[in-house]
Amino acid sequence: MFEDELVAGVTPFGIPAEAEPSPLEQEVAGLFDRFQDPLLRYLLSLGLTAADAEEIVQEVFLALFQHLRRGKSRRNLRAWVFQVAHNLGLKQRNRFRRDRLAFAEPGEIPIENRLVDETPNPEARMAGSQRQEQLLAVVRALPEQDRRCLSLRAEGLTYREIAHVLGISLGGVSQSLGRSLARLARADKG
Amino acid sequence: MADGELPGTRVSEVTAHLTECWFCRARKQEIESAALDFIRAHRANLDPLLPPPAGGRALLKARLAQAVASGERPRLWPSIRAWAYSGAGLLLILAGASLLNRWRIVPEWMTGMHPVPVSFPEPSLTPGAVATVNKDQICATARPKNRAVPASLRRRVFEEYGIPAAEPRAYEVDYLITPALGGADDIRNLWPQSSTSAVWNAQVKDALEDRLHELVCEGDLDLPTAQREIASDWIAAYKKYFRTDRPVSFAR
Repeated sequence: MFEDELVAGVTPFGIPAEAEPSPLEQEVAGLFDRFQDPLLRYLLSLGLTAADAEEIVQEVFLALFQHLRRGKSRRNLRAWVFQVAHNLGLKQRNRFRRDRLAFAEPGEIPIENRLVDETPNPEARMAGSQRQEQLLAVVRALPEQDRRCLSLRAEGLTYREIAHVLGISLGGVSQSLGRSLARLARADKG
Repeated sequence: MADGELPGTRVSEVTAHLTECWFCRARKQEIESAALDFIRAHRANLDPLLPPPAGGRALLKARLAQAVASGERPRLWPSIRAWAYSGAGLLLILAGASLLNRWRIVPEWMTGMHPVPVSFPEPSLTPGAVATVNKDQICATARPKNRAVPASLRRRVFEEYGIPAAEPRAYEVDYLITPALGGADDIRNLWPQSSTSAVWNAQVKDALEDRLHELVCEGDLDLPTAQREIASDWIAAYKKYFRTDRPVSFAR
């Protein structure tokens, strides 16, 4: 402890005491804890880098904070955060693609097809089951919209939420998932 | 039948059909099994790429606090106009820094003073000092409130830095290693940080301290490393732990 006396009237300096987060900040932080990993996985599955995915997730929750602060709808916040992440993710991907267009190597894997091609640990991948590799290969071969539906479903979204996030009809989601799951099931036999 | 989207009558029909049709039951099971296997593969493939959750949480917390303080939304990808303003601001800052540097290289015999610090402590005067390296002690409270620095010690800090007649409101005598990270109440751990610095100012350092405290207490960073990094170059530490080249508020 300091031995000297404090001078009355002098504003304490050094680091000010941390302000208690508001209930809204706490609520948004709670939602961040709940949805951070599912959102990151979805953004990675769109082909974004981990750094871009992290930045987008931050942006999503800042947007959510402003959305709630303005007293806007609290209805289905899971679908809301996924929709914002999806839109920002595509925007970032397009920006990246534009920037890279002039420099792309012949035969380079398009960013949207990098779903499973950037696993950082080859040993872990070698150890992974052949079945998983097979399924991921099937997913890579799917049309992009089908891959998005499948990834969102894998993150626990309902058909209706997926339709909302991707801006397609409920029937479209149903057909897409039906088609993809049938292909995945067939891969088991092949 | 997924998610209860099928009308009640259709559900009854499908259920009745499944009861009777062995092939359809097996097919349904096959598809469910494929879905489960896909979810496993999806996670096994992507989970190794996920960052530790604590870092993102601490960063969001700092940005939310900033948003609350400013009443605005801190944008990560500013518009072209914002970039233009930022660029102009940066030029002004660089011009200011250039003038300041000229001032700083004036020989000491002419001024009788040490250079006036702006954003960096002078390592020979403020190397940093720690009172504890015990993480449990550090993390026992959410964020210990700093003790006020006595006026006499504050005066000594100003004298050491060659600014005995400094305008008190222009400087915040700050801890280099915050007590929340085990920093000591010691003159070697105190420096006059300019309150008027536009970019790397006390508020930015506060955000870094919050983040390091959270990372240490979440077990994502060891305390001696946090202490060493903030003491040796707090701006480099900010860039590293916030993954940005400029303060978050400046990126707006």
